Amino acid sequence: MAIEIPKSLDQLPTTRPRYVGRGIRRVEDVGLLTGRVEFVDDVVLPRMLHCAILRSPLPHARITGVDTQAAEALEGVTAVVTGEDARRWSLPAQSSPEGWGTHCIAGDKVHYVGEPVAAVAASSRRVAEDALELIEVDYEPFEAVADPFEAMKPESPRVLDAQETNVMLDRVFTWGDVDGAFADAAHVFQEKFRWNRLGANPTETFGCISEWDPMSLDLTIHGSIQSPGMFGLGRAATFGLPSNKVNIISHPHGGSFGGKGGTRGCDISCLLSRKVGGRPVKWIEDRGEYLLSGGGQAWDRHYEVALALDAQGIVTGLKVGLVDDLGATGEAYGAISAAKPLAAFTGPYTIPVAQYDLKLVATNKLPCGPYRGMGPPPHFFVLEQMMDIAARSLGEDPAEFRRKNFIPADQFPYTIPSGNEYDSGNYGEVLDQVLALSDYSAMRAAQAEARAEGRLVGVGVASAIEPGVFDWNAYAIVGMPGTGVPEGATVNIDILGNATVRVGFSLEGQGQYTLITQLVADYFGYEPEDVRVVQLDTQSAPPSFGPGGSRLGVAITGAVLGACERIREKMARVVAVLMQSEAENIEFMDGKFMLKGAPGAEMTVAEVAGTMLARSDLLPPDIDPRPEATHVWTAAGRTPADEQGRAKSYLTAAHAVHIVQVEIDAETGMVEIQRYCLADDCGTRLNPDTVEGQTEGSVVQGIGAALLEEYVYDEGAQPLTTSFMDYLMPTVFDAPKIEMVAVVTPSPFTPLGAKGCGEGAIHTTPAAVMCAINDALAPLGTSAREVPASPMRLWKLISEARNRASDESNDD
Amino acid sequence: MASESPQQGGIRLKVRVNGEHHESVVDPRMNLADYLREELRLTATHVGCEHGVCGICNVLVDGQAVRSCLMLAVQVDGKEVRTVEGLAEGGKLHPIQEAFIEEHGLQCGFCTGGFMMALCELFDRNPSPSEAEIKEVVGGQICRCTGYNAILRSAQNAAAKMSASRS
Repeated sequence: MAIEIPKSLDQLPTTRPRYVGRGIRRVEDVGLLTGRVEFVDDVVLPRMLHCAILRSPLPHARITGVDTQAAEALEGVTAVVTGEDARRWSLPAQSSPEGWGTHCIAGDKVHYVGEPVAAVAASSRRVAEDALELIEVDYEPFEAVADPFEAMKPESPRVLDAQETNVMLDRVFTWGDVDGAFADAAHVFQEKFRWNRLGANPTETFGCISEWDPMSLDLTIHGSIQSPGMFGLGRAATFGLPSNKVNIISHPHGGSFGGKGGTRGCDISCLLSRKVGGRPVKWIEDRGEYLLSGGGQAWDRHYEVALALDAQGIVTGLKVGLVDDLGATGEAYGAISAAKPLAAFTGPYTIPVAQYDLKLVATNKLPCGPYRGMGPPPHFFVLEQMMDIAARSLGEDPAEFRRKNFIPADQFPYTIPSGNEYDSGNYGEVLDQVLALSDYSAMRAAQAEARAEGRLVGVGVASAIEPGVFDWNAYAIVGMPGTGVPEGATVNIDILGNATVRVGFSLEGQGQYTLITQLVADYFGYEPEDVRVVQLDTQSAPPSFGPGGSRLGVAITGAVLGACERIREKMARVVAVLMQSEAENIEFMDGKFMLKGAPGAEMTVAEVAGTMLARSDLLPPDIDPRPEATHVWTAAGRTPADEQGRAKSYLTAAHAVHIVQVEIDAETGMVEIQRYCLADDCGTRLNPDTVEGQTEGSVVQGIGAALLEEYVYDEGAQPLTTSFMDYLMPTVFDAPKIEMVAVVTPSPFTPLGAKGCGEGAIHTTPAAVMCAINDALAPLGTSAREVPASPMRLWKLISEARNRASDESNDD
Repeated sequence: MASESPQQGGIRLKVRVNGEHHESVVDPRMNLADYLREELRLTATHVGCEHGVCGICNVLVDGQAVRSCLMLAVQVDGKEVRTVEGLAEGGKLHPIQEAFIEEHGLQCGFCTGGFMMALCELFDRNPSPSEAEIKEVVGGQICRCTGYNAILRSAQNAAAKMSASRS
């Protein structure tokens, strides 16, 4: 029977939702605040050993020998593994473009600094680290390549022996008559941009405990794992195991933002466990390892972009050339980041045709992985800089220039040239709201005064789309197969009427268990205390992907409401039997089943559940007596990608406009953010407090990206940022007060009309901050084209501009 | 449990943690965070960077907030240590914990203990701190989820709660 999932709050079986649509005390908080939540490093298993990993100090070298004898002889050491073990018991990583995966421990050759070359299992982490110092590795160094343009040359050192080139992908995707648009354009603008490598850096690094029984080959992994289901499939593929042999127990984790990679370390701990007869082996990545060679370094990009406009200033074409440096081997799904922009390639604008010239290149740097936003944030950074370049050149206000290029509210659903369909939006309203919130004209007047005093004050206006509810088809151009990402939930009502919801993902920070609690409470007329959410391991859980791709809030709402609907349907049949009527005569509202036209003939959910469980003898034989149901939700109507990568992929398109005011200190290049205002529209806000929390956090990550964060490598591919003294994370002093206002345009396609919003503001913030910086620099005739806009970079631009100006005045 | 024969060259340590007396023999190189987590199994003290930048592993030693990753276990001999486990008392949350819930001052919650212990020390010496004084303390900590706005609101809420309960 088809299940109808409520498409709006007023379709819930309640007179008035009491919990969904508002903030409540999060059910996650007490356990987290008292330290009772069990993170993976808190877990101690019987006979557990500890793993430490020896990593390559060289970016590119032949391994001519590994001597582990002294390490093996150290008291407390149980086993050592090397590349030989990896080749015997595992396959190369499956998360790379085909042919580019390598084993979890280097074999003949190392490809980047930090690549594992050996690992130890010992009685404690300290002893394991002592043992690493006793392992001798002989290297024959090769020339390394750190620059992707060098790497593309035929004479470049080759990163992988098995490949004849360092170019993993070189393709041009064309959507519409792009050449025609540029030939007919009244204006064409072109510019180059550089987005430097940055990363996720959750406060908890990756960690795991692996148990791989060498007899049965059963593999159990406890870990701080973002997507347990997919992680399990990946391990099965890597170890050549049937998927049902791998069980993943994901622990609550300290953030992820895509950056909980850790697969290499996990695979190494698995090899060690197998070598020591299946004893549990714990590997906790330390921060040094994370910064040197962990998951989540992302977006090392060189862009060349062109925009075509007609005489009225309407954008008629967009060309984006991207050279994406994926580092060595491109594993850990880093390539997906280059494909995801297809889901929102032309942003919130009506640009009718577009082209993507995409080169994925290998260098001797750490393989890139996922990070919050998964690719579009740099894409919108360049698109929004181009919009500003065009507006400034045409003498138009950047806010109004964007407005006239916006997709009009009556055009949704709207298909963009790269194939995705935007569900809904009201971009003009979002812009109006943030203009009012920021008092934009007063901001501009204050800026004019500051400029007259010679101060470098700038205002940035940026607008972007957050694709929500991802689908694999969005990544078809980098070889990801398949369509459809299911999420399941099981709702169970016990004999006293209390509800338990079983899901397949763990706590990560977004408050999903609170959302589930709100949904079930409103559906059944319960209080939050009547609902409990528990997580199952992958061998018991309903199908689950978990958090990722701004998807889980929408998907779990569909799964939970679907399960609730199934229970309601089943209970209505039971009530009909008990009341000697038909199911269609039974109504359900505010937690009660009522017989139509018979006032007083009603039963509560608890009464029905109690009867079903205690008196199954009263039920017709075709009714399963358990008041329990599982629903698996998948976005409907997704399409396979065509040869140009076009697909209906991400289900929702949230939208935001940010307005930022900055002042640059000309003497130091330091940027101060003086105002931060935003309006966003992510459809129905199921829990406005948690949405705002995601937004605030994402703004500050975006500020980190724009101003601070950068993984620096020298010309020889040696990493230079391996501590928090060098890799600068935003602190409270970098975080402005964030003023926000919400616009709500419900999605017509999703449960309750919600849109994906977890990745959020990072789509817009770096663009907005850079627009503000360039607005501040405009009077000097210079502009920043490189992210992050560090004090040194800005100071150099300002000094050069001033020197040019004084040279010119001397010439006069 | 770490077992690296602490008897050989181990150092005897007497310490009171959250009011409970402990006597241990520890390896001289064991840091305080590892001692609390591995020996005493007080795992609410989380470790974020192990080089003193993020402040997540803060605990109070004789009332002073310290980075437990940068202090050796043997340095707390004879001292009083307070950890996150010592905040809630008698089955009741500490006002700082209550404030973090009310203001959504946490998301993943991994760093929150460090913030709470640092604020605990601040409120002990300065019951009604200004926003700048709160920022000074919060500025020594890293949170990747919240963007700090909600943490500042939590700290202000906590200060108000604690001064209300004093008066």
